[in-house]
Amino acid sequence: MSRKITIDPVTRVEGHGRVTIHLDEYGQVKDSFFHIVEFRGFERFIQGHPYWEAPVLVQRLCGICPVSHHLAAAKAIDQIVGIDPADLSPTATLLRRLMHYAQVFQSHALHFFYLASPDLLFGMDAPVEKRNIVAVAVENRELAIKGITMRKFGQEVIKAVAGKKIHGILAVPGGVHNSLTLEERDYFLDGKEIENVDTMIDWTLEMVSFIHDYHLKNKKLLDEFAYFPSGHLGMVNAEGGMELYHGGLRARDANGKTILNDVNTDDYEQYFAEATAQWSYMKFPYLKHIGRENGWNRVGPIARMNVCDFIPTPLAEEARKAYFAFAGEKMVNGTMFSHWARLIEMLHCAEEMKVLLHDPQLLGNDLERKGIARTKGIGIIEAPRGTLTHHYEVDDKGMITRCNLIVSTTHNNDAMNHAVKWVADHVISRKGTITESMLNQVEVPIRAYDPCLSCATQALGKMPLKAELYDYTGKLIDEKFKA
Amino acid sequence: MKNLKLKSNTLIIGIGNSGRRDDGLGWAFVNEIQSRMPDDFDYEWRYQLQVEDSELICNYERVIFVDATTEELHSGFSFSKCELAEHYYFSSHAQNPETVVYLAATLYDVQPDAYMMAICGVEWELQEGLSEAAITHLNKAISHFFEVIQDFSSRTG
Repeated sequence: MSRKITIDPVTRVEGHGRVTIHLDEYGQVKDSFFHIVEFRGFERFIQGHPYWEAPVLVQRLCGICPVSHHLAAAKAIDQIVGIDPADLSPTATLLRRLMHYAQVFQSHALHFFYLASPDLLFGMDAPVEKRNIVAVAVENRELAIKGITMRKFGQEVIKAVAGKKIHGILAVPGGVHNSLTLEERDYFLDGKEIENVDTMIDWTLEMVSFIHDYHLKNKKLLDEFAYFPSGHLGMVNAEGGMELYHGGLRARDANGKTILNDVNTDDYEQYFAEATAQWSYMKFPYLKHIGRENGWNRVGPIARMNVCDFIPTPLAEEARKAYFAFAGEKMVNGTMFSHWARLIEMLHCAEEMKVLLHDPQLLGNDLERKGIARTKGIGIIEAPRGTLTHHYEVDDKGMITRCNLIVSTTHNNDAMNHAVKWVADHVISRKGTITESMLNQVEVPIRAYDPCLSCATQALGKMPLKAELYDYTGKLIDEKFKA
Repeated sequence: MKNLKLKSNTLIIGIGNSGRRDDGLGWAFVNEIQSRMPDDFDYEWRYQLQVEDSELICNYERVIFVDATTEELHSGFSFSKCELAEHYYFSSHAQNPETVVYLAATLYDVQPDAYMMAICGVEWELQEGLSEAAITHLNKAISHFFEVIQDFSSRTG
């Protein structure tokens, strides 16, 4: 049956996430879609600009993960000036890694404490007025303060190395433009003026313990809610350990079979393609050799846990083992495990930051290197939300002629649609109307992937969510909107 | 040290986006005051206020939020006390000044003397640079601000 879903032009600039659910004549869910109808344009905007502007310009994609775009672009632009990751000075590499771990730490803290905690603390059925960080602050003051302090720690590290918490600049082509002073380094270690990195590790351990207990108390719900098999994609180091800054790309299918075997990031185009759909501006990346139907992968915390053989910091590795022991599976395919995986990554980042802050090379002054110029550069990192690809090509004057961005949330496009389908099938089917609780249950698994729709489409504006329910004739019978 | 430590008991936070014409009024105000009085206040620039700004403002006796407004005000700006209020935005990536003050009081038992400077803008498209009308309003707001800080000084002194 033909049904028409209208995309309002206003939403193209404002930013818009929309869920539509279609029913058959028996009230059973026939289909569902998670639409992203923001305009995608950054890849075009950046053409014609000189290559050295890219790491600064791309930060404007987002106010939440500018560091990730800055570093992915910087890695790509390094190659334009003839510098591969192994050619960077040790000080430049350590500073970029420190900034990256701080970014993942603060971004995960924002997601867990500000976005996810209301669902966890008050439940998916909680009234709307309780599903926010203000309610968390009122009823769980200590948790809220810890969340704020942990996010602040990561942001302060970013500010120390880049000058600003948002849209600061550390990387320049072939290196970094400044290092830390001893005083700045000690600010994060001595605990005199802010909580130090050891406290961050302790608090993250508390949160990992909290989420373990939460899963224990809500095992059936969390094991089953929005569970679906999929491939998983992430970066690993040469030994197969979790790697967030630079390594090989590995993918495993839902049963743990390796389907992409630690390939060089420079070769990503050989393996990945992006499909499009008429109903969304967000593309659908997939592995070419597996095909569009089954070649899509989840990225981000769950995927990174699934593709790595170990985590190269001791406390996070211990937590990873406990996570898989609890799940009882070689591959974790349950959407709701993403919060647990995210907290384990926070622990890993805190441990890594501690190691880096104690490394004397962090304070060095060998900052920038130059090689033989090239016309193509590819930078891939593991951003908080998953694998992030920046690809630039330049002409002989150094002006950008091509830009390709595959943003983490884009990889999770299929996963979020599968999650919405799961909720539609299990929660909404045969119910007839959408209640507030149902709407939130549609949002919960989307939220678990921490999507950044503005990044994914390089759009401007807010991220409201609209849910629409259509009957078998194509008539809109109910809708809910959140601004 | 890259501005990691505090140097003043008053914080001025400019809110906005200089890439959207007059939405850059908050930043322009902060830039101008900082250029004239670099050591008298602490300064911050924000696209949006966030939850953790509640912790930041606790370190100050006085906080002044500066933002553009779409309202039409006779004087071109308004300067008023910012009272705490419990509002919440769905995305949680943005909070308003009243909520930030509310969170500071709720979480940290601290309520700085907070003010809101709202400056009238008229052009909002994707472009850098303030409109002529906005520049006029900005200059009026800055003049008023210098009168206000005299009053602050006399009260503090």
